Amino acid sequence: MEELKKLIQQAKDDFSKVSELSDLDHIKSKYLGKQGPLNEAMKGLSSLPNKDKPIIGALINDIKKSIEKALSDRKSEIQIHLMNDQLKNENIDVTLDGKKQNKGTLHPISITIKTIETIFNSIGFSSTTGPEIEDDYHNFTALNIPESHPARAMHDTFYLNKEYVLRTHTSSVQIRYMENNPPPLRIISPGRVYRVDSDATHSPMFHQIEGLWIDKKVSFANLKWVTQSFLQKFFENDDLQIRFRPSFFPFTEPSAEIDMKWNDGWLEIGGCGMVHPNVLSQAGIDYNLFQGFAFGLGVERLAMLKYGINDLRPFFNHDIRFLNQFKV
Amino acid sequence: MQFSKKWLNEFFDKDLNGIDLSNTLTQGGLEVEEIEDLSTISDLVVVGEIVEIKKHPNADRLNICQVNAGEKDNLQIVCGAPNARVGIKIPCAKVGAKLDKFEIKQAKLRGIDSSGMLCSAKELNISNESEGILELDQNSKVGETLKNCLSLDDQIFHLSITPNRPDCLSMRGIAKEISAMTDLNYRKEINKEINKEINKLNIKVNVINKTACPLYCLREIRKVNNKNEVPGWLKERLKRGGIDSINPVVDVTNYMMLEHGQPTHAFDLDKIKGVIHVRNAKKGETLLLLNHQEITFFGDELVIADDENILALAGIMGGLEASVTNDTTNILVESAFFAPINLSGIARRHSLNTESSHRFERGVDFQYTLDALNETSALVIDLCDGEPSVILKEESALPERNKIMLRSEKVVQILGLYIDENEIKKTLNALKFSFEELEGGFQVTPPSYRFDINLEEDLVEEVIRIYGFDKIEAKPPTASTEILGLESKNRSAYDIKVAMAALGYHEIVSYSFIEESLEREFHENKNLIKLDNPIASQMSVMRSKLWGSHIDALTYNINRGQAQIRLFEIASSYTKSKSGYDEKQVLSGVVYGSSYPEQWGLKSKKIDFYEVKGDLETLSAEELTFKKNKVPGALHPGQSASVLKNDKPIGWVGQLHPKWKQKFDIQEDVFLFEIDLGPLSKKAPKEFHIPSKLLPIRKDISVVVDKDISVDDMVQAVKKANINYIREVKAFDIYEGKNIEKDKKSIAFLILMQDTYKTLEEGQVNNIVKKVLKVLQQQYKATLR
Repeated sequence: MEELKKLIQQAKDDFSKVSELSDLDHIKSKYLGKQGPLNEAMKGLSSLPNKDKPIIGALINDIKKSIEKALSDRKSEIQIHLMNDQLKNENIDVTLDGKKQNKGTLHPISITIKTIETIFNSIGFSSTTGPEIEDDYHNFTALNIPESHPARAMHDTFYLNKEYVLRTHTSSVQIRYMENNPPPLRIISPGRVYRVDSDATHSPMFHQIEGLWIDKKVSFANLKWVTQSFLQKFFENDDLQIRFRPSFFPFTEPSAEIDMKWNDGWLEIGGCGMVHPNVLSQAGIDYNLFQGFAFGLGVERLAMLKYGINDLRPFFNHDIRFLNQFKV
Repeated sequence: MQFSKKWLNEFFDKDLNGIDLSNTLTQGGLEVEEIEDLSTISDLVVVGEIVEIKKHPNADRLNICQVNAGEKDNLQIVCGAPNARVGIKIPCAKVGAKLDKFEIKQAKLRGIDSSGMLCSAKELNISNESEGILELDQNSKVGETLKNCLSLDDQIFHLSITPNRPDCLSMRGIAKEISAMTDLNYRKEINKEINKEINKLNIKVNVINKTACPLYCLREIRKVNNKNEVPGWLKERLKRGGIDSINPVVDVTNYMMLEHGQPTHAFDLDKIKGVIHVRNAKKGETLLLLNHQEITFFGDELVIADDENILALAGIMGGLEASVTNDTTNILVESAFFAPINLSGIARRHSLNTESSHRFERGVDFQYTLDALNETSALVIDLCDGEPSVILKEESALPERNKIMLRSEKVVQILGLYIDENEIKKTLNALKFSFEELEGGFQVTPPSYRFDINLEEDLVEEVIRIYGFDKIEAKPPTASTEILGLESKNRSAYDIKVAMAALGYHEIVSYSFIEESLEREFHENKNLIKLDNPIASQMSVMRSKLWGSHIDALTYNINRGQAQIRLFEIASSYTKSKSGYDEKQVLSGVVYGSSYPEQWGLKSKKIDFYEVKGDLETLSAEELTFKKNKVPGALHPGQSASVLKNDKPIGWVGQLHPKWKQKFDIQEDVFLFEIDLGPLSKKAPKEFHIPSKLLPIRKDISVVVDKDISVDDMVQAVKKANINYIREVKAFDIYEGKNIEKDKKSIAFLILMQDTYKTLEEGQVNNIVKKVLKVLQQQYKATLR
C-alpha cells in the first residue's frame, strides 16, 4: 500500500518535468492508463478479504484523485505559461499609424446650405428648387422689373438670347412656386445664381438662398424676427446684432438690406422686404387677403463668415488641401 | 453719385459735422459706399512758385528749381516733371511733410541739394492724375497751405443711389433727404435772377413726339465768351462730383445738373439750320456723338434735330457737330422733361451710360425744368457774359400725380408696428409731401420728383424709412402651422453627398459654363448653349456634362502633388430641348492615382475600373447593372460601361480615353463617372424579412469559357433559370494563363443555397449544382474544370 501512496509524489515530479501539453498526456497514461499501477491495484481488490475491500478501494480512489488533481494543476500551469508566451510574441507597436482609407469631404457651400435648411425647416419652411436657365418673365417681369427698367442694370445679367437668361437671383423660384401652390406658403430655395462679375469678392457663379412666407397676417415685424433669429442660430450667437436699412428691390415694398454687426462694423448679409402687391397679383394671389415677406441671403458670404475665410476664390478652385478641412 | 461735403453743407444753416452724416444717409436708404477724406494732407504742403530753372548737371531729365514757397529764401528743389517751368504755381511739399507713403527729407539728388518736392496730384492723393506736377490757379497765394488753397478740408462722399431714387442724384435732393431725417433745415435758394435786357427768341421749335417729350424749354444766349477761365471753385466741385472740366458753358450745365438734378444741354446756335424738331429718329439715320462714337438709329429713339441733321440723342448725349467749344459765341440752352419710359433702355442699347441718361431714365422733376433753365443761363451769363433771349416753353400732358390713400391700419398691417397718426403726419411733413387728413388716414399727393410712389405700400415704406426700421420690434408670426412631411421615396442630394464623402470623395463646386471647344469635342455636344456675353472664353457655353470641369479640377490637384484624387459634384447638366432647355441633376466624378493613401504595411496600388464601379454599387441603394453598350467618346471603349438601374440607362463609368489623357497631358489612368441623380436617388418600397435560422450551404464550381463572355451575363442566366433554393451566385475568382487554353478563361463561382425549413440533403445539393452547370454548359459552352 505504501508503494501506491508514493505514486502521488512520483507523478507530481514527473508532471513537473514536462512543459508540453502532449508530453503531459503521455505521462498521464503511465499513472492513470488501463495498464497503470492504480488500475492494476483496483483489479487486485477482488482477491482481498471482504472487510478490507472498501477500505483499500477508497484509498486507491483517493490516490487516483490526487494524481488527477496534480495533472490538471500542471495542465493549467502549462496553459498559462503558453498563453504568456503567446502574448509576449504577439506584442505590437500600437503607436504605428492605423491603416486607413482617405476620408472624403463635403463642400463648405453644401454644408452651409444644409445648415441654413435645417434651421428654416425647423420652423416649417420647406425646400424647393427652380431652373437656372430662366426665362425673362420669371427672372424679371414677374418680379416687377419690366423690360428696360433701370433696375435690370443692377443685375449684370448673362443672356443666352432675348428670352432666356442665367437667373440672376433665386427670387425667380418665388414666382414659380406661387404659380403652382395656393397660399399660405412657406418656402426656402437654395441654388446657383449668375452675374457678369469676377474678382476677389465676386464670382460669376455663386449661391443664394431665397425665403418666402405668405399668409394672412405675416408682417415686417415677423420678417425681422425670422431673419434675426436665423442669423443668431446660424452663427450660434444669441447676442448677434442685426440692423435693417432701407433699400430698393422692385419685388418688395418696403425693402431693406439686412446688416449684421461683425467685428466693429456692419456687414451686408442679404436683402429682404414685404412682397410687392404687383408680384402677388402677377402670381395670381389676392393681395387684399394675403401678404408676406421674402428675403435673399448670400450663401458664400455666410460661409466665409462662419469659417473665417476672407477670399471667395478657394470655394471654386477645387484644391484638396482646402477641401480636406471640411470633414463631416 | 459722389459729392463734396463742404458743398452739401452750403444748403444748411448748421454745420453738418454736428451729425453722423454717413450713418444718417445710410439709414435713410442712401448707402454710403466710401468716404474720401481730403483733409489729411500735411500743412507743410504749400503753394509754391517756380522762379528759376536750371538743367541738372548730372541728369538729363532732372531740373534744379528755385521755388518761392513764401519763406525768406527760395527753396532749391530737384524736380523731374516735364511740365516744370518758370512762373507756374505748384504744390510744394517742404522738408518734414508727410505724404501718403513717405516723408520729405533734406536730400541730395545726383549730387545736388534738394529741400522738398514738387508734387503731382497723385502724389498728394487728391486725384489719379500723375502726369507731371499739379499746376495751380495763377491767383493762388504763395506760401498758403494747399489745404486752404484747394479747400481740402473736405470729404468726398460716394453714395450708391438705388434706381427708385433719381431725386437723390443731386445736391438739393440729398439735402432734402437729410432735412427729412434730421432736424436740420434745408435752405432752398434759387440762384439769382438775370438782371439784363431780355431779347427776342429767333429759333422755332416743333415738338413732334409729345409723349416722349411733354415739356421742352429753350433759351438763346448770344455773344458769350466761352474762352474765359473756369473758376477754381466750380472746377473743384465738379471734380469732387466726378466730372471733368471742359469749358465754361459745358461746365455750368454739368454743375447745375449736380446741384439740382436736371440735365440741361447747350448747342452751338450757329450750327443749327432752321427749326428744332423733337422727333423719333428714322431707322438707319446716323449721328456722330460728342464722344466721337457714331451710332446708327433703330428708329424708336427720340432725337433733337434741325431741318437737316440730327443734333443730339435726346436726354442721353449731344452730337459733335453742334457741340459747344471754346470758340462758340452763340448758344442754345435746352432744358426738357423726357419721359422715363421712352428713354429707358435706349442708352444701354447704344452702349452708352451718361450722367444725363442715368437721370432721365429714372425720372427728373418736371416741375423744375423751367427753373433749371433760368438758373443755368444765369450762371452762364455770370461767367461768360452773353445776351439772353426769352424762354420758349412747349408743354403738353405731363405725368399726373394721383392721390394715394394711406390708411393708418394698413401701416400696422404691413409693418406689424402701431404708429400713431401724429407720427405718420410728422413723417409726411418731414418729407414735404402734400396731403389731406381724412378719417383713418391721409390722402397724399406725391411730389413731382418722386416717380417711385404709386401705391399705399410705397407710402408705408416712406413712413417707416423716416420713422426708423429699428423701431419695429421683432415678433414671431402667428400663422397657419403645418408639420413638414417625410420624403422616404427619395434620397436627398445631400444624403448622396454624405455617402460619397464616406467613400472617400471630395465634393467640389465648379462653374456651370466651360470652354466651347471642350463642350463641342470632349462632351460631343453639337447643340451648344452659348452665352451672349460670356465673361471669358473658357466660360462661354453651358456644359452638358461635368467632366470637362472635373478634368480641370483634377489637373489642378495633380499639379499640387496630390497622389490620390477622388472628386465629385452634384450639379445640373444643360441641354437644348424642343421647348427650351433641359436641366438635369447629375452626380459626376473623377478618380485618379492610388487606391489608398501611402502607408506602412500596404503595397501601393493604383485605382482600377472595378474599384470605381464598386463605389457606385456601394453608393446606390438598389442594384445597378453595368453593360458594355456604346459609351461617350471621352471614355476608353474597352474599359467603360453604361450604368443601368431597373434596365434603364442612367449614366456611364469608365476610364478616360487614352487620346484625351494624352491631350490633357495626364500620366496615369483617370476614371470618370456621371449618373443621373433622379433615378439614382429613387428608393422603391421594400419588404423586409427575418433571416432563416439555417445556415446556407456553399458549393464552389470552376468552369472554363471563352474569354469574351461576360461574367455578369452568366450570373444573370443562372438567376433567370430560377433554380430552387439558390440564394446567391457570384464569381469569386477569374483565372487566365497556364493550364488554360488561349482565348479561354476559368471562372470560379460560389453558389449559396438554402431551404427555409430544413437543412438541404446532399442529393438535393448535388442536383442544384448539376442544374447550374447545365445552364452554363448550354448557354455558354462552359466546361467543368
